[in-house]
Amino acid sequence: MALKHVNAVIVGAGAGGGVVAKELSAAGLSVALLERGRWYSAADCRKDDLCNQRTQVLGAKFGPDDERNPRVAVDGKGRETVVVASDGAYSNNAACVGGGTFSYGAMAWRYMEKDFRMRSTYGAVAGSTLEDWPIDYFDLEPYYEKAEWEMGVSGDVSNNIFKAPRRKPLPMPPLPPNREYRILSPAAKRLGLHPFDIPMLRNTVPYNGRRSCMRCRWCVGFACEVNARNGTHNTVIPEALATGNCELRTDCMTREILLDARGRATGVAYFDANGRLQEQTADLAIVCGGAVESARLLLNTKHRLFPNGLGNRYDWVGRNLQSHTYPAAIGLFEQEVYDDLGPGAGIAICDYNHGNPGLAGGAMLANEFIRLPYQFLSAVPAGVPQWGPEHKNFVRNAYRRTISIMGPVQEMPVFDARVQADPKVKDYWGIPVARLSGGKHPHTLEIAGFAAAKAEAWLKEAGAIRTWKRLPGASLSGGQHQAGTCRMGNDPKTSVVNKDCQLHEVDNVYVIDASVHVTNGGFNPALTILANAYRASGNLLKAWKGSKARS
Amino acid sequence: MPNQKPSLKRRTFLSAGLAAAAGGAAISCGGGGTGEGWRFFTAEEARTVDAICERIIPADRDPGAHAAGVVNYIDIQLAKRFKKHQAAYRKGVAGVDAVSRARFGKRFAELPPDQQTQALTEVGAKSGAFFNLVLNHAMQGFYGDPRHGGNRNMASWRMLGLPLPPVRGRQHYDDPKAG
Amino acid sequence: MEGIEGALVKSILLITALLAAAVILMVPATTFYFESGGGRRCASCHEMQSLYDDWRGSSHRGIACEACHGGAFTAQASFHANNVARAYAHLRGDVPDQIGFGNEFAQAMTERCKSCHRQEYAAWQSGPHSATYARIFLDKKHNTENLPIDDCLRCHGMQFEGGIGDLIAPIDRKGPWRMIRAELGGMPSMPCVTCHEVHREGQPMSKAGVEGRVPGPSQEIARPSLALFDRRTERYMPVAGMPIPEMLEGDRPVRMSKDQRQALCYQCHAPVSTMQVASGDDRTGIGVHEGISCLACHAQHGQKTRASCASCHPKMSNCGLDVEKMDTTFASSNSKHNIHWVKCGDCHTKGIPRKKAPAGAL
Repeated sequence: MALKHVNAVIVGAGAGGGVVAKELSAAGLSVALLERGRWYSAADCRKDDLCNQRTQVLGAKFGPDDERNPRVAVDGKGRETVVVASDGAYSNNAACVGGGTFSYGAMAWRYMEKDFRMRSTYGAVAGSTLEDWPIDYFDLEPYYEKAEWEMGVSGDVSNNIFKAPRRKPLPMPPLPPNREYRILSPAAKRLGLHPFDIPMLRNTVPYNGRRSCMRCRWCVGFACEVNARNGTHNTVIPEALATGNCELRTDCMTREILLDARGRATGVAYFDANGRLQEQTADLAIVCGGAVESARLLLNTKHRLFPNGLGNRYDWVGRNLQSHTYPAAIGLFEQEVYDDLGPGAGIAICDYNHGNPGLAGGAMLANEFIRLPYQFLSAVPAGVPQWGPEHKNFVRNAYRRTISIMGPVQEMPVFDARVQADPKVKDYWGIPVARLSGGKHPHTLEIAGFAAAKAEAWLKEAGAIRTWKRLPGASLSGGQHQAGTCRMGNDPKTSVVNKDCQLHEVDNVYVIDASVHVTNGGFNPALTILANAYRASGNLLKAWKGSKARS
Repeated sequence: MPNQKPSLKRRTFLSAGLAAAAGGAAISCGGGGTGEGWRFFTAEEARTVDAICERIIPADRDPGAHAAGVVNYIDIQLAKRFKKHQAAYRKGVAGVDAVSRARFGKRFAELPPDQQTQALTEVGAKSGAFFNLVLNHAMQGFYGDPRHGGNRNMASWRMLGLPLPPVRGRQHYDDPKAG
Repeated sequence: MEGIEGALVKSILLITALLAAAVILMVPATTFYFESGGGRRCASCHEMQSLYDDWRGSSHRGIACEACHGGAFTAQASFHANNVARAYAHLRGDVPDQIGFGNEFAQAMTERCKSCHRQEYAAWQSGPHSATYARIFLDKKHNTENLPIDDCLRCHGMQFEGGIGDLIAPIDRKGPWRMIRAELGGMPSMPCVTCHEVHREGQPMSKAGVEGRVPGPSQEIARPSLALFDRRTERYMPVAGMPIPEMLEGDRPVRMSKDQRQALCYQCHAPVSTMQVASGDDRTGIGVHEGISCLACHAQHGQKTRASCASCHPKMSNCGLDVEKMDTTFASSNSKHNIHWVKCGDCHTKGIPRKKAPAGAL
């Protein structure tokens, strides 16, 4: 039985897809929202410290499952491995309603003005495809505001002298400072830095009919039991469903975008929850699968007119895969600094995002989320034996006495850091899997070293009796902040979508997620994905001439 | 008819009893068990792995890997999520005992702690991949959630001073004290 | 011909019937085989070993497995079907990491506890902790003010297998709300096994000396089975290891009773993260009742406080008032003076009079 034709079929119910679904359905368009994962609740989570979205040694709790969704990872030496979602090289984000926003730490950053003008600010960087965005901060500002107020952001950025201009403050105050914050804040001020409260998509007071954060120790990687962390799963997606115009279908794996003889999209083909192949016809196909899966879907969409994949005439689809490189510094203190007040992260500085001598960019620095015991082991310094009585003793003495500061380094995009459709390996549904290859730009690692040194200096000033750094390696960066694979730009020869997120090649196919990010800022990207989705949806609706399902 | 009934009953009971015994016996020793309640390991392997883990996380004033049942974690996971590591364990554990025998003439589990440490250091140098595998798994079993078979009585979490479970209520929407 | 054919049909029927009976009887017979070993045979499956060991060291060691878990003679098809499913899973090697129990069993256990602990059952049933699912989750006032969330299930319906969205509908503040599985509505949302772990290590207790009086802070009766069923981990946390929070009144640390049983109360009657007295669901005593254990006034199971004043107070206060009739929430829920937090100065606004006579008890 053929499915009812809709105005828009959206592939992926994460940060981007959730917002698009809500904006389009609220405007009266009929929407089919396809999600390959499930709609989870806290009952599926159970605070399992070895099986969640942050620590995946026993599986990625919020998808995808290891059994049906392999990928191929190619390392620096060209060795291929078939990897599963719980392997580090898989570059997993999530596969569920809400996508990454279901289990993230919820930092809600606006990128800075220079983050949209990286090429103009720093010039060309050899070996990097560093470029400006085709839009600037002020194109996005109203939508940042919309995302902050509609979905709910708490924090206080008034002390951040580096912030881009904004019209409205954040709708909610920050959480009261935890012990780490109280130690780090005066130290930063003594160093002449400008600490402030991290903006978070987190209720700190009742907001939108939901309660405030209870400050438990299980935040990033876990489901929120009090429904205080705001993702698309508890904000825009329920709103979209409430319009009556949007139908969410979970456990649906999209195979390809369907194209007519002239190369226009007519819908998508997907496998439903029972493994049956379905065709959903639509006026618009909107791809929101995240940087890896969106690129994979375009590349797996083959047509006489697009033999190398949809939107890929100039070989830009899947290129420039980037995320964030996280350097860290850890400080051991004389006194206990752990006070069990979640989420842990609370204080940040933007002093080192830009204007660092000799460096093209930088990173925001913030204290880390609460580290559960097994996670803490990665903070043990190199000088301590990896096992035996000294290791145990160190962990026992240090667990409640360390602060970790880290920051997402804005990466230099690399053309060869890429997603391809693997020629051999197929997933459970017979769809060619994503093949990931390439690595980080050396300058990214230089910036990381700089940021780690600054973090270390901050900890020393705060009174740490011993400090050490954790520096990232050169391997491919993907994972939860994945971006860049369907670059937004004005020139069809060097980008995949235009500034409205519409494919240059086909006017009724859109990509609306972090794939379109030209560069990824020195910040967690969620709020930018949400804001850009609001913006792109708005422009799409302005241009919309089709008939609505209901007005 | 009347005289047939008891015999029917008897026969049914007999067959049911036989079936029960067979079923019971089948279930008791089924499930790929190795006789001593392990899911993957042989009893000897389990002893060796238990001893390796205890060297990795030895008991001091707090329980070590043995008391925390870390070997249970590894055994359970090898039968489930870590199936792909089964061969590595089979070979690696034999390797540890071989090194112990070659150096000290005994199985690993029978050595005194300092000789175990020497043997393990040698294993780490010789077959680093296997040693790192056990190392990671031991850490998971000791510091990870007890629901997966290790960290008995939340030994490591108590050692680290985590309140279990935390006392944590929440603000009520209608709470006049809120905000 | 007919006779022979008839006999053939008869014997085929007979054999089929016999086989069917054998197959059907095999299930309870297998159960009988296991239970006849006094639990030892159950423990031959490795996943049962620790449960068996725990039970052997528990205060319930004298109670046979089948008394609580059901046995060969349990007249409930689902029980036997479940056993078949579990045995099949076991044979396939599909063995759970830890054996837990579901809501259905938790509910059934409540009735089985009653068969011995009649008095406790009656007290519990008359008190607030026997509130049903419907009472908790379909409360109109609550739900219009507070959106139902998964965290509700941490203290109510902790054994329920799903999330809040599997329990009631709709999840909004408009309602009307209904139980998705109607039969749950009438069941207790905090059954016995919420606060009692039947397999918890301990000595069997004699009833004498336990019943009949409200224990004061110096007369702690820590029942061996006291443990919290922690929904997050689906495991029991023994009361001995659970934290009693360091409560604050403003910046002042509150003097806390050392009664370890309170750790159980604090899991649900919990302050928010600031640890301030009276925040969230906290009811820590300050003022005249500071330092007194929850259980000094709230007798176990029934939570009745009516008779508790007399165990410490003379009837008349220092200022000559009947303590039970003073202007507190004990006398009337409309009072501004919550009995947990009331201070002398709340009424004696012009200064607290000196003690007239030495206090009686305490």
